[in-house]
Amino acid sequence: MPSPEDIKQRIETAIAGAHADVEDYSGGGDHFRATVTAAAFEGLTRIQQHRLVYEALGSDVGAAIHALALKTQTPSPIQTP
Amino acid sequence: MSSSQFEPIPMLKNEPSATPTQSAEPNPIRDAIAQAIAEHKVILFMKGTPEAPACGFSARTVAALQELETPFAAVDVLPDPRIRQELSAISDWPTIPQLFVDGELVGGCDIVIEMYESGELAQALL
Repeated sequence: MPSPEDIKQRIETAIAGAHADVEDYSGGGDHFRATVTAAAFEGLTRIQQHRLVYEALGSDVGAAIHALALKTQTPSPIQTP
Repeated sequence: MSSSQFEPIPMLKNEPSATPTQSAEPNPIRDAIAQAIAEHKVILFMKGTPEAPACGFSARTVAALQELETPFAAVDVLPDPRIRQELSAISDWPTIPQLFVDGELVGGCDIVIEMYESGELAQALL
């Protein structure tokens, strides 16, 4: 059964420069919520961004990882006043 | 919630009982899915039905479409695991629900909800 830490490491290993925040929101070890921030997402559609994350987790998505609520984003530009 | 907004698709009708295992063999389920995607402007593959969603992610996706008063076709993937298997093979997307507009995968629940909140979904459905 994957832990949030496993999932975080797999995403961050597969996507260069990515930062992933992963939580087990049901506490049951199979429903996760992840926010992934990566410069590699720049210029990609949301579909393509999510596919990169799914590819990092392979066949576990839909199996051991029953549900993965996913939010992908690029690093925020520094806000100037 | 109006039942007239959704049209169930009998995905498994006329299906031969034999299950082809070779990719070269006829694949009636995959063909039926591809045809359904091609024939419906807005089609949602989900767990359960719009009236009785069987999963929170499917329920939220249906709710977004209903908020926009979008007519959509719906396919319940639960009656036969092969529907989900073949759908994911076509779409290269591992999870359910999956929303297609004009033959293209728009996304799963998270993307649909983000697009609903930003107004992009209403644009995509025009």
